[in-house]
Amino acid sequence: MLMNIGFGHFLVLAAVLFAIGAAGVLLRKNVLIIMMSIELMLNAANLTIITFARMHGDLGGHSFAMVVIAVAAAEVAVGLAIVVAIFRTRRHADVDKLNILKH
Amino acid sequence: MTPRVLPYLLALALTVVVLGVGAAAFAPPAAAQPAPAQVKPLPRSATPAGKDVSDRDVVTKRDAAGQVPATGKPRTSTGTALAFWLFAAITIGGSIFVITRKNLITAVMGMVGTFFGLAALYMLLYAHFLAVIQMLVYAGAIMVLFVFVIMILNKPEDEPYATKGRAGKAVAGLAMAYLIYRLASVLLSVDRNVTAAQLAAPAPTAEGYDWGSTAAVGWNLFNEYLFPFEAVSILLLVAVVGAIAVARPLKDDDGEVLPPGDGGRGAGGA
Amino acid sequence: MTFSSGDLVYVAPFLVLAASGVLLVLAEAFFAGKDRSALAGLTVAGALASSVVSVVLYRQMGPSEAKLLFSEMLIADRTGYVLTALFGVVAALAALLAPAHQRAHGWVIGEDYGILLLAASGMVILAQAANLATVFLGVETMSIAVYVMTALRRRSRRGNEAALKYFLMGAFATGFLLYGMALVYGAVGTTSMVHIQGRLASGDLGLLTVGMFLMVAAFAFKVAAVPFHMWAPDAYEGAPTPVTAFMAAAVKAAAVAAMIRVFGQFMGGDRLPYGVIGWASPLVVLAAITITVGNIAAIRQDNIKRMLAYSSISHGGVLLVGLCAMGLGAKSGQASLLYYLIAYSLTTMGAFAVVAYVGNRDNERLDIDQWAGLASRHPAAALAMTVCLLALGGMPPTGGFFAKFYVFKSAMDTQDQQLLWLVAIGVVNSAISIFYYLRLVTAMYFKDARIEIAPTRSAALAFVMAVCPLVILEMGIFPGWWLSL
Repeated sequence: MLMNIGFGHFLVLAAVLFAIGAAGVLLRKNVLIIMMSIELMLNAANLTIITFARMHGDLGGHSFAMVVIAVAAAEVAVGLAIVVAIFRTRRHADVDKLNILKH
Repeated sequence: MTPRVLPYLLALALTVVVLGVGAAAFAPPAAAQPAPAQVKPLPRSATPAGKDVSDRDVVTKRDAAGQVPATGKPRTSTGTALAFWLFAAITIGGSIFVITRKNLITAVMGMVGTFFGLAALYMLLYAHFLAVIQMLVYAGAIMVLFVFVIMILNKPEDEPYATKGRAGKAVAGLAMAYLIYRLASVLLSVDRNVTAAQLAAPAPTAEGYDWGSTAAVGWNLFNEYLFPFEAVSILLLVAVVGAIAVARPLKDDDGEVLPPGDGGRGAGGA
Repeated sequence: MTFSSGDLVYVAPFLVLAASGVLLVLAEAFFAGKDRSALAGLTVAGALASSVVSVVLYRQMGPSEAKLLFSEMLIADRTGYVLTALFGVVAALAALLAPAHQRAHGWVIGEDYGILLLAASGMVILAQAANLATVFLGVETMSIAVYVMTALRRRSRRGNEAALKYFLMGAFATGFLLYGMALVYGAVGTTSMVHIQGRLASGDLGLLTVGMFLMVAAFAFKVAAVPFHMWAPDAYEGAPTPVTAFMAAAVKAAAVAAMIRVFGQFMGGDRLPYGVIGWASPLVVLAAITITVGNIAAIRQDNIKRMLAYSSISHGGVLLVGLCAMGLGAKSGQASLLYYLIAYSLTTMGAFAVVAYVGNRDNERLDIDQWAGLASRHPAAALAMTVCLLALGGMPPTGGFFAKFYVFKSAMDTQDQQLLWLVAIGVVNSAISIFYYLRLVTAMYFKDARIEIAPTRSAALAFVMAVCPLVILEMGIFPGWWLSL
């Protein structure tokens, strides 16, 4: 178990990373930390994809992972732009204080 | 228990577990280089238990046909195991840093650690090109973007943990914990169905490139993944144009007014 | 495996949209400080051109012909072209709403048009996707573009608050979508959806089930199904009305289009959807909750945009019923879903066009009470809104009636009528929904105006307000042709 590293180890590691990312999204209220946590989730998914690509001997998984990295970069750029726009109109970036739109 | 303490305890416990497991795996220091290592999990074989202490460093022996022999018990090399646990610890430790730190720059540094650990793990999985891309794009570009925005905002948090909707989040958290628990058993069972061919070091691609090398991934990217590769450019264009349109300074817009009924004071809040 | 230029013909709708999107982004540089209405004209031209191309390609394809393109990344068939034509039309309608609203509410930003078309090109990828990678790419192209469009009214604090909430929720859902895809990929060893069915026998069912459930949850986010709907009312209220219309009509339709591909077609059939491990099991529960909660929440709303948002949530629930029926093997499932998507999209565009018309710079008039007396001053607008509301409520003779009727009918067609309870819930809820739609109709027709109404006048807006209700009525009176698509 400890010295025999199998694909399962990588997959469980990815699952733990995914869970930590999801916990960060739910627990933290700073927008930037939430965005980093989302990046953690995407990276966990990428690790899973690459592990399975190795397991199935399918290079398509690597190309998929490249697409994911590009998408993640684009998402971060737009997200940070929205954060900057929010900051311009209210001088903070706390999710909890965003309450003009009522439920 | 206040919500402030809980994540720290969680972080501590997880770090202890991960590091402890890593330390238990510690063996002769032939390990620090992850790149040439191979991943050789245990397939189902008829070897009786208890006879396996002697051949620690034996990587799977392959016969002429490339088949893993059915009798010998294939093992991961100690170096690989050690590298895995080391980089797993860095990855998990870094990610826990991200979600627990109050200081944003510290969180970013944890994130860089996570990306470094992940890049090393990609190496262990023969994804050499992606490991480089991971470092270049994530650690090199995305995190720098984060640091810039942190410098623009430059605000410390007074109360870092979100307190709204705690009940809903607790339910979501429990559901997630259960999911991960169930998932772990599913994921670990993957190794039981793995064939010897899947365990062996991957053969070069049909075009003769090393599996996972730049040439091999590039070939795949421009053949099988040609359409997504080209279509990503649309996405990047949206992101570039959109980010500028959203984030450029307000004074550049001629003739715009704040829509009334929009929460009192004028935009800018100054 | 190799690239053939002949494939390009079959993705012509995508190419037209993407090319005109790029063109518009460039054109914006020459319109700084000038009237941007010309950009709207170009946008309409590009979107309609892609629709026309879709129609031409539709007529060339045989009824059950399907062609795989670009190493099984995309698929060309009639279903796809119906959807691409729909996305083109909806994008054109949204572009028609934009100039008047931008002028009236002071957010004259030319980038809106280019990004609108690029978002539509992402939707077209979704409609033709045959691979998990293209599904992911399409979802992201569409979503990122719509986050940007939501945030474009930058001086509005509502606007950027809505954008941030939408972005965070959407990105969170993206994480689940991708992780689910990763697990499905692990189970079957390929991302090509065409092969998923074939490889089930050797695949890992445990991984596949978890992966499918995660994907169901992520798509439920995108169609705003309860309990993943929290972002929708906020985003719909905060976004500029033309963008809201586009979000409510096209984004939801595109998410459903992706679900038709992923679940209905490639994971449908006689093996996957059933039982504890099937994707249909969580989906029927989600559908039932979504219809009910969406309706009940809509009753309590005084803000028209939020009311329409909750109403669109409950419509999403009905769409999920149709998806379950399709996955469970109902023959008429796909045709009824397409009919519903067309009727729903056009109705939503019409309703939001009237919302954009009634408001002006000083007062967006989003409160239901502020619509009192609309019928006496602006009878045409009130009539258009009434037709749209009746269609949303599923009343004959509008297309909304047949949309709901055919979806529920296809749900009844499933084996052993196992969706009967779901149909019962849906019908009861349709009756409930009449209540809050009629509340607005009552306000318009039977109450006296308390404040002067000074609507946003624009020929393009009036055109949308006229065309949408007419087409909906036509769909309701002669549904045959639409159902044969």
